[in-house]
Amino acid sequence: MSYINTAFEIGSKVQQNLGLLSYIIEFIQANSKPILQVLVLPGLAFTLVFAIIAVWFERKFLARAMLRVGPYYCGGRSGVLQVFADFLKLFLKEIIIPENVNWLLFALSPIMVSLVPGLALILIPFDTNWVLWDVGSLGLPMFMAIMGIAPLMPVFAGWVSNNKYSFIGSWRVAYMYIAGEIPLVISAAAVAIMAGSFNLVTIVEAQKNMWFAVPQFIGFIIFFIGVLIESERTPFDIPVAEVELVFGWRTEFSGILFGFTMMAEYVMFQAWTLLFISLYLGGYNGPIILGNVLLSHIFWLLAKFCVLVVFIILLRCVFSRPRMDQMLKIGWSYLTPAALLNLFVVLALKIWGVI
Amino acid sequence: MTEPRIEPELMRISWGPQHPMSGQTRILLDTDGEKVHKIIADLGFTHRGIEKILENRSLIGGIVPIDRMAMVDTANISIGYVTAAEKALGLEAPPRAQWIRSLVCEMSRINSHLYAFGLQAEATGYFPAVFLWTTVDREILLDLFEELTGARWSFNHFLPGGVHKDIPDGFNAKILEAVKYLRDRFKDYWNAMIENPMFEMRCNDVAILEPKDALRLGATGPVLRGSGIPIDMRKEEPYAAYADLDWEIITEDACDVMARTKVRFHEIGQSLNMMEQIAKEIPEGEIKVRFTPFARAPEGEHISRVENGRGELSIHIWTNGTPNPYRVKILPPSLRNMYVFERLAELTNITVADIPVVINSIDPWYLDADR
Repeated sequence: MSYINTAFEIGSKVQQNLGLLSYIIEFIQANSKPILQVLVLPGLAFTLVFAIIAVWFERKFLARAMLRVGPYYCGGRSGVLQVFADFLKLFLKEIIIPENVNWLLFALSPIMVSLVPGLALILIPFDTNWVLWDVGSLGLPMFMAIMGIAPLMPVFAGWVSNNKYSFIGSWRVAYMYIAGEIPLVISAAAVAIMAGSFNLVTIVEAQKNMWFAVPQFIGFIIFFIGVLIESERTPFDIPVAEVELVFGWRTEFSGILFGFTMMAEYVMFQAWTLLFISLYLGGYNGPIILGNVLLSHIFWLLAKFCVLVVFIILLRCVFSRPRMDQMLKIGWSYLTPAALLNLFVVLALKIWGVI
Repeated sequence: MTEPRIEPELMRISWGPQHPMSGQTRILLDTDGEKVHKIIADLGFTHRGIEKILENRSLIGGIVPIDRMAMVDTANISIGYVTAAEKALGLEAPPRAQWIRSLVCEMSRINSHLYAFGLQAEATGYFPAVFLWTTVDREILLDLFEELTGARWSFNHFLPGGVHKDIPDGFNAKILEAVKYLRDRFKDYWNAMIENPMFEMRCNDVAILEPKDALRLGATGPVLRGSGIPIDMRKEEPYAAYADLDWEIITEDACDVMARTKVRFHEIGQSLNMMEQIAKEIPEGEIKVRFTPFARAPEGEHISRVENGRGELSIHIWTNGTPNPYRVKILPPSLRNMYVFERLAELTNITVADIPVVINSIDPWYLDADR
């Protein structure tokens, strides 16, 4: 509430004929940290820059696996400007809206698809004091709640597209997320029990000496598979299976709307991976570099994030895609019982006071 | 095609021709959720009237258009026509020409199977890495084709009564080198695909075609041999040099998608063995007998049956004493296997996700099926 109070104070100063410019300068001075957070670190710049670098890296890296060169001409030999060129192309392309669809929902749904998982990013702790929205002990449940809404958006997007392939794709999304999210939430609950709090900062601080990946190895594996399922990464890109469903729930979107659906994939990926690091891989913990605690914490979180991103992209050239029934079998027959077992073991150990 | 009526509770999906995996055809799927109840193949999008074109050309002139039936497997198509034309003209190729024909045919078969293999990897949702790898490895074969015949794709190398050109100097050593390289690569493919647990999950026990059904529906090629029935035209009616080469018919008993993939895989290995044997043991001698380009074939009917990469191709030529054939009837392997594919939805449980996998295990070449 302090921000609102300062805003009121500044507002009263504006009434004293101080002018708009000085009002803006004072507002920025008073709220420099949250503004920096919104615009730079967990916010806009981080999301966009990550999406751009990840797309470029994925194309270039996978091209090596396919004995190709990848983007080559745009922006020197590295092809780094190709992503910007593609974005420009998507932005300038005509948006084709199919017949007999609700055009408002059709245009809104891809934007919502990328916005909702972006909201969850504000809960990720980059340092003890660098959390955009510190909700205390509501951190983990709030994250799960926001990410619980996210899968509904592809379902809507597929539904409003009025296309048979989109329709099948959107119901694949629904089936897959339910099968993937339940074991994921259960294993996250085991972590919260072990740390003794739902507060993400406390969970990260509890991993100062040992990452939770070591004592909770089963949960670690389950959560990792869950992250792949939730962010529609290969091998679990079943809803957009290109060879089966053209492009799944994204089939009908063109131009910048398609750009938003692609963006959504990376934002989702980013949010879940950062949570995964916070829960299992020690979050921002790491040796302090050059005596600056804040920057070294941010550095360690981003470094872990980069390693994990490379690993997840590498999985793309290793695995085939399972069928829908096989995917549900993986989710319900293996992951959920294993996650429950993991939860009960952690509970028992907690009650006996071992951990 | 008039579309058959659909049962009210099913949804009909039009699979292609505008679809990333469909090829130049349309397949109608009557689905209930993921399950496919009925498959209707709507062929004929690429009908070019090759049979009619062949009627308007001399027997020798027909070699050029018939290559266009399946660009990935041209030698094996061409040998079918040339064998039938030889029978019509009463010619016989000398032994060295027969061995060269077998060499080109086996290289073409590897080319065809590599393509099928790469598509199979892509159809299971494998990132297209394996498809690109096979494409790069096919390049080696295409270079060999270019050196031997002068063309990379459509090499009108076979003539009634022989082959067009002899093997160039130092070519045998290159073949042996290529065989060695490809054998190494196939270990990679085996590990990346056949041994990959996710690939096994997608291919094992999918689209099982019982041997009796395979025979009843007229399956051919790797589809038939994947159902455990040892029928191969190279053994049934040996043409070219296949009677002299050491090889066996490969079969798999699992009858599923994986069995067909494995048949292709082992056939590639066997073709490599044959290439090696040909490079080492090819007899010396003439490569063609004299013939007149507009020779008049006496009245009669002549049938040739050859084994393509996709199965048995039979070509039936009627001649009536003029330079042109009176009628040419082609029964391509892809058409026969597409009938099997249509029936598979009734015989087994197939889901929407299985369709690309199953269709690539059948490996149809629609230009071949449409003629």
